[in-house]
Amino acid sequence: MYDFLWLVPTLPFLGFLILALFGKKLGKTLSAFVGVGSIGISALITILIGIRFLSSPPEGDAFVQTLWTWIAVDRFNVNIALHLDALSLVFTFVITFVGFWIHLYSVEYMADDESFSRFFAYMNLFVGAMLLLVLGDNLLLLYLGWEGVGLCSYLLIGFWYKDSANGYAARKAFIVTRVGDAAMAIGLFLLFYSFGTLNIQEILTQAPQTWSVGNNLAVIATLLLLGGAVGKSAQLPLQVWLPDAMAGPTPTSALIHAATMVTAGVYLIARMHGIYELAPVSMFVVAIVGAATLLIAGFAGLTQVDIKRVLAYSTISQIGYMFLALGVGAWSAAIFHFMIHAFFKALLFLGAGAIILAQHHEQNMFKMGGLAKALPVTFWTFLIGSGSLAALPLVTAGFYSKDAIIWFAWSAEGGNIYLWAAAVFGAFITGFYTFRMVFVTFFGQQKIDVSHFPKWTIHVPLIVLAFFALFGGFIELPGTMGHFTLFSDFLKSALPAMEEVAHENVSLEYFSQILTAVLALVSVYLAYVLYLKKPQIVTNFTDTGFGKGLQQFFLSGLGFDWLYERLFIRPYVWIARTNKRDFIDLFYVFLPWMSRQFHYAFSYTQSGKVRRYILGIALGAVVSITIVVIL
Amino acid sequence: MNSIIPYLIVGAIVFVLGIFTIVYKKNAVGILMGVELVLNSVNINFIAFAKFVDTGIHGQIISIFVIILAAAEAAIALAIILNIYRMKATVDVTQLNKMKH
Amino acid sequence: MTASEILKMMPLIIVLATPLITMLIIALHRNHLTTMIVSVIGLVLAIIAIPYSKALDLTKIGELLIIDNYALFYFLLIFTATIAIIIPSYPYLEMRFKGNREEYYLLILTATLGSSVLAASTHFVSFFLGLEILSVSLYALISYLRQTNEGIEAGLKYLILAAVSSAFLVFGMALIYSQTGKMEFNALMQFFSNSSKLNLISIVGLVLMIVGFGFKLAVVPFHTWSPDVYEGAPAPVSAFIASVSKGGILALLFRFFSQYDVLNSKPLFLIFALLAVFSMFGGNFLALLQTNVKRLLAYSSIAHFGYILVAFLAGNNAQNFKGVEAATFYIVSYFITIIGAFIVVGIFSTREREAMSVSDYRGLYWRHPWLSVAFSAMLFSLAGIPLTAGFIGKYYVLASGIDNQLWTLVIILIVNSALGVYYYLRIVVEMFSQPEEAAETKHPSPSVGVMTGLILAVLTIALIWLGVYPTGVIGAIKISVMGL
Repeated sequence: MYDFLWLVPTLPFLGFLILALFGKKLGKTLSAFVGVGSIGISALITILIGIRFLSSPPEGDAFVQTLWTWIAVDRFNVNIALHLDALSLVFTFVITFVGFWIHLYSVEYMADDESFSRFFAYMNLFVGAMLLLVLGDNLLLLYLGWEGVGLCSYLLIGFWYKDSANGYAARKAFIVTRVGDAAMAIGLFLLFYSFGTLNIQEILTQAPQTWSVGNNLAVIATLLLLGGAVGKSAQLPLQVWLPDAMAGPTPTSALIHAATMVTAGVYLIARMHGIYELAPVSMFVVAIVGAATLLIAGFAGLTQVDIKRVLAYSTISQIGYMFLALGVGAWSAAIFHFMIHAFFKALLFLGAGAIILAQHHEQNMFKMGGLAKALPVTFWTFLIGSGSLAALPLVTAGFYSKDAIIWFAWSAEGGNIYLWAAAVFGAFITGFYTFRMVFVTFFGQQKIDVSHFPKWTIHVPLIVLAFFALFGGFIELPGTMGHFTLFSDFLKSALPAMEEVAHENVSLEYFSQILTAVLALVSVYLAYVLYLKKPQIVTNFTDTGFGKGLQQFFLSGLGFDWLYERLFIRPYVWIARTNKRDFIDLFYVFLPWMSRQFHYAFSYTQSGKVRRYILGIALGAVVSITIVVIL
Repeated sequence: MNSIIPYLIVGAIVFVLGIFTIVYKKNAVGILMGVELVLNSVNINFIAFAKFVDTGIHGQIISIFVIILAAAEAAIALAIILNIYRMKATVDVTQLNKMKH
Repeated sequence: MTASEILKMMPLIIVLATPLITMLIIALHRNHLTTMIVSVIGLVLAIIAIPYSKALDLTKIGELLIIDNYALFYFLLIFTATIAIIIPSYPYLEMRFKGNREEYYLLILTATLGSSVLAASTHFVSFFLGLEILSVSLYALISYLRQTNEGIEAGLKYLILAAVSSAFLVFGMALIYSQTGKMEFNALMQFFSNSSKLNLISIVGLVLMIVGFGFKLAVVPFHTWSPDVYEGAPAPVSAFIASVSKGGILALLFRFFSQYDVLNSKPLFLIFALLAVFSMFGGNFLALLQTNVKRLLAYSSIAHFGYILVAFLAGNNAQNFKGVEAATFYIVSYFITIIGAFIVVGIFSTREREAMSVSDYRGLYWRHPWLSVAFSAMLFSLAGIPLTAGFIGKYYVLASGIDNQLWTLVIILIVNSALGVYYYLRIVVEMFSQPEEAAETKHPSPSVGVMTGLILAVLTIALIWLGVYPTGVIGAIKISVMGL
């Protein structure tokens, strides 16, 4: 079964090729078959490989499929090879499995779009690139996938390119992530320089021998990689692009900007964990970034009116949790939360998409309302997703994954009480804004008539994902509740396991869990009171000057766009403007000018006259002979 | 004549004359004659060297091939020149500069 | 000549026999399509004979020829390229030429024969013969469209200049012969390597030969003919000159110098390095603002052979053939791209003229998305964009240069690659920009024949295939270069 691994990334690429080349001729039905089918078969193969992996793990707990050598010159040796271990298997599973349901959903969501096949072509290309990212066994392939998903993200955000605002959002996403990518590229060069190889496993095995703990190079390299990770995963300080990225079609937001691509940063750090462990400083920075991001994004989520922007901020915030977990060394907890998050966040986005479709493409929640009756399936599944996001205790998967992170933020080696407090407070905010969204959208008065009733292509993905968002958590239970560690045992072969020390202090762990659970319930109740029962409290508050200011401040994502506008964009534009005719510029004006002069000079020799040509040849001969005679 | 030098000198002179003819002449047929001169200078050299340097007859053989080439080249060249004359009523190569730069 | 020698030479013999048979067929039944099909069948048979020839142990055929793996590799390359050129020639001639179209194939086949003899030659006589079979066929091919001004002008220019360069070449041969009394490459190179103080007359002879090589490869300053000829010749013939003709000469150049350490011979290294530098800069600067696509391809071809010379210099250590490997791979990728590009030019030509102006390609994407994508792939490969064969080729050339610490050349190569990107992308931009309203009527929609389309598709796929999976071809090149 392992030998079929190469098919997993190949099929989506093939689907992309077919759709890109023949898309228009295929028509919508066939395009949908190709687009969804390629991912479906990939998902099927992944699941079969996964079963095999669980029943009889390959030797060394990793399967490497070397397809061919791309370039081999001296030390620079690049194999096109896939590396499958527990970590990449989890990611591959999520990408193909969740990806498949989102693709299926898109068939209905995009049914009326004229660029139907283009959409599926991009989506397939994205899945292929993302699989390359997680399966590539060397940094070059990883980087190729990394840039590939960035490109697809750009293309899909600007999918409806006729609206220039979408184009602006796409460019913003591209440029902001590019800042991180540049840092990451330097980090990769640094790694190649230090280890002389691009193979990830070789780097990981060599690193502890070459670098001692706290080595400067290790810190620099990991921080540079972190730069790439925060860019791609929309973490502080590069989080500004993700809310705007919601301009893309909703399935795109579900797949790329919630479930998979934005977690590439998490994957990168988890994949390079061997180096991060040599740089405790960087680990601490990762944790701080995660904690700060989850709070800031949470605050911003409180006041959003666009349903997709709420979800976008919640995504940023949840990935902040993952970063926090990575930073304190709770590797498997981060990956666990990644998987659960992929389920419920994809579910929420798809649900939001169904709502938007039903409401004449209206995205403002406050113009909606009372949809629970009209869209029962959407309502119930959305409710499950929201419960999971808000980490409602015991019944939802999100509770188990988030609880693990919250507890590790305190108890793990790199954790402390401040990180824990931030995580707990973040959980409270999450619950609040999540259920604010639920109450505003589904309860109260129905304001817009329902224009589109979802069919099975929307319902089935919602139900499947809701199932996983509910029960996916039971594969890993905390020490206080049976200590069932199927998931982290599985990941043990790829990622270092959490020390048992984390489970020593049982009473503290109970305290943490109960506090989180109570806060989650309180937050739901608070949202119920403030947005359903007595909404005038909120309006009264926002009518005051302070309240209005605060609301505006949160609404703008805590003013980061405003800040960057003043900190980077304006000074840059100013420098560019004032520097229009500067000295350095002269050089760049000079270059083409000089090239042009050379062109004219050379083309003068090209006179079209045979006799001149002969003279040229003779002259060349004479000069050559002179050289020989002199030397 | 038992020295190779005179042959070399004659060969070189004919070669330079040939090149000069090619550059100097405007008439395509004249240029063709220059080409013949150059090729014949090569022939002189090869035959002389075959006598003085080589024990075999490589030089003679290659000069026969050069003669064959000269004939073939002249045939095709004349065909092209005829075509030019038919179209432009002139065989002046300086008129052939439609394509440049 | 023994039976096994004849078997060994079978690919050459078939290519020799094909024009003879074709000639007979023309005499009996003059038909364009039949002639084309017979030519292709002949070439296919020759390709089929290559593995059988490879299986035989002996390599040397008399004094004149050597049919080793290296020669067979180039045979394969040349024959395949010729097939890829012949098939699109059929619709091209049907459209553009009134008169006897059948002889075109005879000439292409003899030119192919000449080029393959070059790849297998080890002796001045076979070298000269191969070169002239090739050249004389090309004279006629270039001016094949004899009713056009450009055709005959290009033909005469090429004829005069090629004759002069051949004269330089044979004169150089004569000078070398005068000092050594030998004409076999190995013996000559032994002479050059052994004589501690270089014999002046023989080295002048060598330089004159380099002039001949330089002319055929169109490197600066012997390049002046190429833009005019590319422009005036029919598009398929331009493709042939750019690929098959140059490929044969290049194969011979590598073989000729394979036993000689150019890298450590001061004057020769300097000459080749200067040729390379001038070609890179000259070709790219000339192409920079060029608006005629065929001339642009000619200029870019000059630059590309400058790149190849860098690899040639790097790989010329007797022990170390990395550079020659790189150059051979480069040539393979260059064959694919340049043939593909000229096929596109041929497709867009009309009865009256060829689609040479860059503006002819404006908005091509909106009229012929497939063709424009194929053409873009070719241009990307020429520019050396990753995931195309051109990138891998350029990468190997650079790596071989760096390996031998040819830093100056490597830096110049990189600068020139940047220059190249500019003018290749200019055409791509033109193709993808919106056409003017009136354009629809100006450009009658050409019909792409099934076979031509197929060839173009195969070339495009090969281009990307080599860019993604170069290992196979590089392995084959390694084996073929080993015996050199």
